[in-house]
Amino acid sequence: MAEDAEMRAEPSDNDWIRVTSNDGFSYMVKRKIANVSGTMKNMLDMDSKYAESLSRTVPVMQRGIIVEKMLEYMAFKAYYETVGPKEDIPVHEYMERLPPEIVLELLLAADFQEL
Amino acid sequence: MNVARRGKPKIKPPRKHGTTFNAEKTWAELANNIREIQNHDASNLSFEENYRFAYNMVLHKEGKMLYDGVKKLVAEHLDTLAKDRVIPVFPTGGQDDPMQRSQEADIFLKALRGVWDDHISNMVKLGQILKYMDRVHTKSEKVPEICEAGLHLFLKHVIRPPIQQHIVGAILNQVRFERDGHSINRSPVKGCVDVLLSLDVEPSVTVYKRELEPAFLRESETFYQAEGAKLLETCDAPEFLRRVEARFESEDSRTHHYLARQTAAPLRQILKDNLLTAHLATVISLPNSGLDNMVDTDKTDSLARLYRLFIMVPTGLPTLKRSLKESVARRGRQINRASSGAEGVDAEIDVVGDEGDRKGKGKARPVANAAAQRLALALKWVEDVLELRDKFVAVWQSAFDKDREVESALNEAFQEFIDSNERSPEYISLFIDDNLKKGLKGKTDAEVEAVLDKTIVVFRFLTDKDIFERYYKGHLAKRLLHGRSVSDDAERGMLAKLKVECGFQFTQKLEGMFHDIKLSGDTMQAYNAHLAKTTAPEINLSVIVMTSTFWPMSISASPCTFTPEMARTCKSFEQFYLSRHSGRRLTWQPSLGNADVRAAFNAATVELNVSTFSLVILLQFQCLDEDAVLTYSELQKATSIEDRELQRNLQSLACAKYKILKKHPPGRDVDKDDSFSFNAAFTSPLRKLKISTISSKVESGEERKETRDRVDEERRYQTEACIVRIMKDRKHMTHNDLINEVTRQLAGRFHPDPFNIKRRIEGLIEKEYLERCEDRKSYNYCA
Repeated sequence: MAEDAEMRAEPSDNDWIRVTSNDGFSYMVKRKIANVSGTMKNMLDMDSKYAESLSRTVPVMQRGIIVEKMLEYMAFKAYYETVGPKEDIPVHEYMERLPPEIVLELLLAADFQEL
Repeated sequence: MNVARRGKPKIKPPRKHGTTFNAEKTWAELANNIREIQNHDASNLSFEENYRFAYNMVLHKEGKMLYDGVKKLVAEHLDTLAKDRVIPVFPTGGQDDPMQRSQEADIFLKALRGVWDDHISNMVKLGQILKYMDRVHTKSEKVPEICEAGLHLFLKHVIRPPIQQHIVGAILNQVRFERDGHSINRSPVKGCVDVLLSLDVEPSVTVYKRELEPAFLRESETFYQAEGAKLLETCDAPEFLRRVEARFESEDSRTHHYLARQTAAPLRQILKDNLLTAHLATVISLPNSGLDNMVDTDKTDSLARLYRLFIMVPTGLPTLKRSLKESVARRGRQINRASSGAEGVDAEIDVVGDEGDRKGKGKARPVANAAAQRLALALKWVEDVLELRDKFVAVWQSAFDKDREVESALNEAFQEFIDSNERSPEYISLFIDDNLKKGLKGKTDAEVEAVLDKTIVVFRFLTDKDIFERYYKGHLAKRLLHGRSVSDDAERGMLAKLKVECGFQFTQKLEGMFHDIKLSGDTMQAYNAHLAKTTAPEINLSVIVMTSTFWPMSISASPCTFTPEMARTCKSFEQFYLSRHSGRRLTWQPSLGNADVRAAFNAATVELNVSTFSLVILLQFQCLDEDAVLTYSELQKATSIEDRELQRNLQSLACAKYKILKKHPPGRDVDKDDSFSFNAAFTSPLRKLKISTISSKVESGEERKETRDRVDEERRYQTEACIVRIMKDRKHMTHNDLINEVTRQLAGRFHPDPFNIKRRIEGLIEKEYLERCEDRKSYNYCA
């Protein structure tokens, strides 16, 4: 989903946020998804006027794979946060897609991003 | 993301954050950036970078250094702000011109609010950057989050002496300025109040609560103490009430708009204490504009306002009630005095009459006048009472929100003053009598109803309903016997109303009287039919048979010797009646009857309508010479009429407007050694005359005493009957219970005196209806 967004996104679109990794990847996500992370939310707060909120770019000091998985989780969370209590949340499927090698690194990144 | 996974664990260790970490260096950079932020220069800074600084410092256990450092930076910044922006605009305070003082206060408060806004926005930004610290460091260290620490710092560095005093001073200044009737810019005041409200000194005690509110309340108290005294001095009561209400409204809007809601209650209390409670009694009794005056001039608005304000304070309603009662009582006393003033007038007229007597003119007229005047006074009394009642009910409805307590106070007051006039039962009965006799002519049924309804209202205030009953019975009897009642429907309507008020027992006898009248009509028809068949006596007779227990007249007939023809006529009816009803006894009541008699004077024959007694007196002269003289004692011997009646009838024959008899010597009053002769020279323009017996409509003192005695006697019987009824039911009762029960049951008719009840109980014990128990406190019923 994050890759799809990257391919189709227009940089001028207000609602899109660019998330960059430290090895040169960049991902476009909806502001709504970025707001799932407390850190990103503060970073993009229009009232505080930090450099990131003006350029609508969020640098994440992690490898691409970590950023990608993290955004996937954020999208997953943003989507299922609003569904009704009866609907089944496929946590298990998401787990299946998580490569065990990066789990620790992903945890650190998540801590940083206040997830 | 806490995941426990199956399968082979091939987890790589995370890479190290950064290569090397230097706490001092990181802090120096971060501190620099924080200063930038405080100078509103955040747009060049990377959030990510600063967040990472803080993150790293916390990760490397330098959280304390970070936290304290930030606090120090914030404190420094606040000091600068206070020095640069707040202190220069301190109000000078020395200015005499209130306008300028207000402006200074305004500027100062604005500046303070500006600093606050600045500080809050900085703290939000810092809070965002230091979020990781808040999440990890502050929690484990149990220190307040940075935003909250910011509030503490603001409290310590800005809200401090002397700034704090200036804030309070400036706000109070603005409030005072507004109270003095000027307008101020409310928003800075509200801004600063909000600041004070959001700063906690201790848990849940805000600066507002600790510093501003007490000062504000103190100030208000002083202000309103002075204000209350000033208003009382300069305003009349309606104006006072209007101003006070306006003050309440303005203070309410003040707390609503720029002070805290929590202040509303104590502030209101101050207003109540100083403007209302302190001055209630004074205002309501202000001589020319207080309650009395408002009622007099129908100032409904002011009265309504008075009520609204008075019910706010606990002492208000009692004060209002007391004043109302006083007002009613005063007016009632006036009415009572006006009617009892008649006594004085009577005496005066008597004196005048005596003088006139000596001059040989005036004669009996003053007496008739006085009687009429007394009747008029009685009627006026009831009308005045009704009017007063109407007035207060109108006030109660329109101004007092139909308050139940006020109503009961009014009723009490009315009851008191009506009771204080011991003649009120008689007056009320007279009023009804008058209305039923003539007043209702030409009025519609609805109007009649209205008058009677109103009278019932006054009647309700009477405690001694049995006295009223006695008078009413008397008046009703006279109306029925003389056929003076205007409308039977109205009579019955009144009766129905009394029945509703006091129950069946009360009207039983009255209804019996109506019944007797109806029966008598039937009897007379039958009697006339009977006469047609037999030889009729020489006098036409119309009889009303009254059941002795229903009618108020004394059973023992007043003695009177009938002339033979009269006696024959009576005998004829007696025979007829007793043949129809066996076992009854007829007693003739000449004092209640009247007769038509043709008298042959020198000039013409005139038909006279006189009382039965007068007829008997006149008949004594029938067979005598024209100039023959009968002395008083001769007349009395011949007629055996009682002194009082004889005097009364002789007076009406010889001393009133039409002088059928001549009195020797002439004079207004009849004495026992006077003598009388037939006045053959009498002339009259009319062919038919009514010689009304002189009788006062309103009772004289002696009669009243008699009525009083009869009432007392009746009360004795009623009390005894009541005691026996209760004891028969209960068999055994303690003294106090019995007294209470009797009082309760009799309250509908009169207010029994416990002492009298006790006497009746003793009487019943003597008669062996009751016996005292051994405990000396209770009684047994002896069947």
